[in-house]
Amino acid sequence: MSALDRIRENWQIILLVILLVVSGVALFVPGVVGGSSDGSTNLQYGLELDGGSRIRAPVVGMKVELSVDQFGNETAPGEVESTLSGELGVERQDVRVLVPRERGDNVRTVAVEVFADDTHGNVTPEEFAAALRATGFGGVTVDDVEDGVTAKTRSEMVGTIRTKISEAGFAGRTVRQATTVDGEHFIVVAVPDKDPDEVRELISSRGRVTVDAYYRNESGTYVQKTVLTGPEMENIGSVQQEQNSDTYFVPIVVSDDVSGRFAQDMVDGGFQSGSQCTYTQNPNGTDPCLLVVVDNQVVDAYGVQPDLGRAFVGGPNSDFANDPSFRIMAPNYSEARDIRINLQAGSLRAPLDFEEATTFQIRPALAEDFKRNSLITGVIAVLAVSIVVFIRYNDVRVAAPMIVTALSEVALLLGFAAAIQLQLDLSHIAGFIAVVGTGADDLIIIADEVLSEGEVHSARVFQNRFRKAFWVIGAAAATTIVAMSPLAYLSLGDLRGFAIITILGVLIGVLITRPAYGNILRTLTTDQ
Amino acid sequence: MVDFEVPDVDYTRYTNRQLMAIPLVVLAIALVILSGWYVMTGSPVNQSIDFTGGTELTVQTDTPRGDLAAQFDPAPTSIQSVTDQENRYILTFKESGGSTDLAQQAEQNLRPADGADVVLSYQQVSPGFGSSTQQTALFGLALAFVGMSILAFVLFRTFIPSLGIVISAFSDIMVPLALMNVFGIELSLGTVAALLMLIGYSVDSDILLTNHILRRSGEFYESTYRAMRTGVTMTLTSISAMAVMAIVAFVFRIELLASIGLVLVFGLATDLMNTYMFNVSLLRWYKIGGVES
Repeated sequence: MSALDRIRENWQIILLVILLVVSGVALFVPGVVGGSSDGSTNLQYGLELDGGSRIRAPVVGMKVELSVDQFGNETAPGEVESTLSGELGVERQDVRVLVPRERGDNVRTVAVEVFADDTHGNVTPEEFAAALRATGFGGVTVDDVEDGVTAKTRSEMVGTIRTKISEAGFAGRTVRQATTVDGEHFIVVAVPDKDPDEVRELISSRGRVTVDAYYRNESGTYVQKTVLTGPEMENIGSVQQEQNSDTYFVPIVVSDDVSGRFAQDMVDGGFQSGSQCTYTQNPNGTDPCLLVVVDNQVVDAYGVQPDLGRAFVGGPNSDFANDPSFRIMAPNYSEARDIRINLQAGSLRAPLDFEEATTFQIRPALAEDFKRNSLITGVIAVLAVSIVVFIRYNDVRVAAPMIVTALSEVALLLGFAAAIQLQLDLSHIAGFIAVVGTGADDLIIIADEVLSEGEVHSARVFQNRFRKAFWVIGAAAATTIVAMSPLAYLSLGDLRGFAIITILGVLIGVLITRPAYGNILRTLTTDQ
Repeated sequence: MVDFEVPDVDYTRYTNRQLMAIPLVVLAIALVILSGWYVMTGSPVNQSIDFTGGTELTVQTDTPRGDLAAQFDPAPTSIQSVTDQENRYILTFKESGGSTDLAQQAEQNLRPADGADVVLSYQQVSPGFGSSTQQTALFGLALAFVGMSILAFVLFRTFIPSLGIVISAFSDIMVPLALMNVFGIELSLGTVAALLMLIGYSVDSDILLTNHILRRSGEFYESTYRAMRTGVTMTLTSISAMAVMAIVAFVFRIELLASIGLVLVFGLATDLMNTYMFNVSLLRWYKIGGVES
């Protein structure tokens, strides 16, 4: 037999060897697959095996979808928002009207959302429907009210939370959406090496920052007027400390479109000749003040230097409008840092429902134990399989390749996991052990079929028997895949990883490793 | 080396009725246990906090076990020791309050061991989320079962043998469920995964047997014996792997792996009985009528 024939005959073994080498490279050569890896392999570990916190919470809110005709082509979304928030007694930013970008395109609905429910902000579906009717949408009933918020709001929230967490310096986080079968949506936040309390604190506040002017109006009573909102502040700088003082500030630039209006507001508020703010000591007798307000809480109050006050004079044509740099003051470093984070990330569109949240936390020390112990468990399970197989066949030539083949399935899977940066958790480890189990089963079928009717003398006899064995293996593989695919598709937390690994393992087994085992067995039995 | 041979069972000594009776009685007992559980507790199986909602804390503390419960308000519903670590405990609570209150109580009220953190892990599931997980899991199980059944009919295209595979798989799931109640194992995401794996594993040996008897030439008892030799080896290999995994994971208190392993051991043992008593006699009746052709 020529060398070429030999290669042609044993191509499945050669393919397996090549793939094993590729897996080895993906697993062990540093930097091949990108991303950060710790330790000696390129494998990534999830929370359960590395430690950290995960919070999974639904978004508070209800929505009603109106057809464009029902909404009216001329209706202004902003007006609907303010009328509706008035009707419901919630803040303006807790109501949102989402109009399709171009009226009359494919999306024929306008979504009206309220970010409150009966436990948060005290709005029942009945009240929401009634408020919509009062706002001018006569036909709306309580049956039109759906739980949850729109996909757009959710994905904006994911973006905001991502920025918030990165800005807070929590490395390695994942923020994503998850959906259950009954259509409930969740936002999942996972952060390694942090307590759930820290994560929760960061994402439980909406983080809506405004600058309000506080001054006496003509009739002599104090009024508070929002003069700058979060989106109107740009070029957010890093936190700095005021010279010779223990106050901190975040430098910003007021957006060009509103800098003139802001300067005029300041003149109207009486800041043009500077002001000494005594808001904290004497709120009812102070000069005009600027208040830094985060989620309706005043965190700092300060006056304006005479120089800056003069720069406001002239409104749109003022010196300030030409150079709209400004400072957001904070009483201490941590407040300043929070303000910076909130300005960078924007405010959270809707609150998260922590009453309905699922929290998971595991300390790195315990996770490390799990990692080591589950590895030991896996190795012992493989040993158990090997011992049974050796005892059963009593022939190293049959049993040894069987163990090697079953293990190479795991090696290929691990290489694959490293290559796609899969975050390994306990459920994946269970999947690996299951793969060894099904793998060994199928190799037993092949061995028994091939060896059952005495010596194999020709390649043709071997091929015939191998094909018969393969029918059973294929059928068994198909059932395992059918049984596991709902899990791989449904959002069942931990189990998804398990199902995906099992399905992949079965596919790798049927397509690559089991044919290769057949080749090995033929070489050993037909003495070619 | 120890020799290991699959016993050659003399099926001619038993009638179909005798062979079928045992697996059917076992299945009936399992169904009685499950329905009894349903009548007594409102659920056919005990469910973990994955499905009911609640809080689970793993703590490491020098506070003696007997004093643990008194340190919490509300009190935990169960306290388990971790086998390989003397001062580690797993506490389960029915409550899943919106805050991390219970973790704080643990940090404040329990004595830390060697200055280490008290709370090692913390898991809290809201009841709403739990019940939605439960529905999803049931739906997934049902879907997997139906998918497997359809596949069985497509593969063999004959009614009785395919039906036999489906009944056998049903029993392979019900008997372990009943045994879970007996042994105090809760239905969790891990055990649902194990039940789904059982669908895959248990059908393997049925397919092997049915294939050998229906699609191969050769006399009934000869085909049965050959299928059995392979099938029993397969199932025993899987049982030994899963038993070892269950024992080792139990010692290490890796709950997910331990419960997957144990449920698979129950299911595979049930499958041995079902395949080589129930399916064999159903196929014998289908193929040759009685004990002898």
